[in-house]
Amino acid sequence: MKKIETTIENLKKDIAAFYKPELQHFMVMNAVDLGEKIEVQWFFSNYAHPCETICFYTLVSPETEIPSIRDIVVSAWVAEAELVDLMNIKVENTQKGFVLEPDFESGPLRKKK
Amino acid sequence: MAKQYEIPIGAQHISLLEPLHFKFTTENEKIVKTDANVYYVHRGIEQACCSKFKFRQVSFVVGRVCGLCSISHTTAYSQVAEKLLKIEIPLRAKYLRMLVIELDRIHSHLLCLSHVAENSGFEALFMKTMQYREFSMELLEAVCGNRIQYDFSIVGGVARDLKPQVAQSIMERLKKFIPQLDELMDIYKNNWTLSLKNKGAGAITKEDAMRLNVVGPFARAAGLAVDVRNETEDLLPWKEVGFEMITETSGDVYARNMVRLRELYVSIRIIENIINGLPESALITETKAFPDGEATVRLEAPRGELFYYAKGNKTQILERLKIKAPTFSNVAAMAEAFTGNEYGSAPAIIASYDPCLSCTAR
Amino acid sequence: MVLHRLLLLLMILVFPAQRDKILIMKTFLKAIGNVFKKPVTTRYPFEKTFIPDDYRGLIGFDENLCIWCRRCEMVCPPGAIVFSQDMEGKQTYHFNRAVCIYCGECVRACPKEGAIFQTAEPAPCALKAENINNGWNKLFDESLASREAYAAEKKRKAAEKAAADKAAADKAAAAKKEEENKTGADPDTMAG
Repeated sequence: MKKIETTIENLKKDIAAFYKPELQHFMVMNAVDLGEKIEVQWFFSNYAHPCETICFYTLVSPETEIPSIRDIVVSAWVAEAELVDLMNIKVENTQKGFVLEPDFESGPLRKKK
Repeated sequence: MAKQYEIPIGAQHISLLEPLHFKFTTENEKIVKTDANVYYVHRGIEQACCSKFKFRQVSFVVGRVCGLCSISHTTAYSQVAEKLLKIEIPLRAKYLRMLVIELDRIHSHLLCLSHVAENSGFEALFMKTMQYREFSMELLEAVCGNRIQYDFSIVGGVARDLKPQVAQSIMERLKKFIPQLDELMDIYKNNWTLSLKNKGAGAITKEDAMRLNVVGPFARAAGLAVDVRNETEDLLPWKEVGFEMITETSGDVYARNMVRLRELYVSIRIIENIINGLPESALITETKAFPDGEATVRLEAPRGELFYYAKGNKTQILERLKIKAPTFSNVAAMAEAFTGNEYGSAPAIIASYDPCLSCTAR
Repeated sequence: MVLHRLLLLLMILVFPAQRDKILIMKTFLKAIGNVFKKPVTTRYPFEKTFIPDDYRGLIGFDENLCIWCRRCEMVCPPGAIVFSQDMEGKQTYHFNRAVCIYCGECVRACPKEGAIFQTAEPAPCALKAENINNGWNKLFDESLASREAYAAEKKRKAAEKAAADKAAADKAAAAKKEEENKTGADPDTMAG
């Protein structure tokens, strides 16, 4: 697994330079709660041999708004909606209510203090 | 402009097998827009695996995410835990895992085909496919001890061995199944009334498939040659036992049926090759280490690509476990592919995508 | 099976121009033929179903071989085994067949072969009178509490014994010292 670090400002530029629909496909987004900060990861994979998994990651504080990549990768809205429900992070243009009911408490996967 | 109506096909519907919810906006019975959500069966499995269960017990918890692809989840989790523990499993265990994965693929594809036939209105074919599927459940019970939740892969290897008389009975039953499979292939391919419902319904082009990142038999029916068994060789030796990629070009329900039927022939050949060439070795690698670091694993479940990510911190309990099910990648394509079709073919299209909501909203 | 083929052949010979439409009826004729066949359903529980001889069935326990290490309780994923302890230190094994998932981890973890084993009989259903869910939760908590009570009692007795031993040792040392003082202070008895 190859990990590439990026930042909130450079995210869309890095992914637009890297992602080509004939060569890679987008798998899923993930977030790990490290206590003070949250590490957000985007996973891609090659179609061709030898295929490897590439991960773009960035460390943010829990209140930062993360830009949405759905104009570059069309099917990313599903992964973003899941993280908004489960980890209670903010992604632009995404509401709660896809994987959990809209009036459920948000962020059940965050670490309890 | 015609008047627009909003019709839901909701969580409880007489022809839906899985609890999804779509809200269609229709004009004169043709669908123009779709909204989706999946919040009916969330059970909190990722949260439980990181707080309540020790890392060796997680493989049993994760096998109960889905009833149809149970072996795929346990094998993928065992592989990611073995990467975190930095151990290698014995050779016989690898071949036995591949054997059960292919037997599982047979029963899962026959189930999906029978549901497509039922939703197209052909109930006699639904019953006939289910009758022919029964032998695979009995074979799995002889190999793993249970008909659906086979707790077969554990961290470090496999739990049971394959006895010679069980191997013999597998070969005999497969020989009896091949003429039955030819008969099913003939009906699904040539029957005129079934083709009226299936040809041209729910079609998706190859460019759309690449743009929407779809996986599984759904992508292979549109011409996109993507299969994890073709792409990864380090953990399980698929090319050695005779794996072949199957694709079609038209991308509609008829093409998906053909892909699933042709994959059954490949699965039967793989099972025969494995039984004829099974090596002798131990079954489990013992270790006393704790998981540490990060690792990812991809595996081909009957419905597509399954992805696991795990992070350990040198204790008995994992820090983070992330599961991505194959239907999760296909939800975006499902919502886009309804446009232009009639409302009456919505159940048949949903069944041909083969959704598995227990994996998606775990 | 053969009859419908003969029928189709006959119809094709009589009407050769309609061959394509006649072949469509193949499935239809086969479906009608199914009316005269036996059903394939197994009438369970009046008929027996297929059960292999190494089916994952109920867990059995042999008290005479067990060494009471409690490793089976630690590895059980749903928590279906628990050991309780009375005040003399004797342990008792409890098993719940409705919580158990029949995975066999306890059999693999046991260091003494034969103490815990898996049979091939399917588990019988539980009746309401057995109170198998809420009763088990109560039993589980009570067993853990009884083990803690025994451990606390053992610790208390050990501390008491240590204190009593120390007191006795101090007393003996003090008595010996007094004896020495007494004999040291009276030299006539020693000399004479």
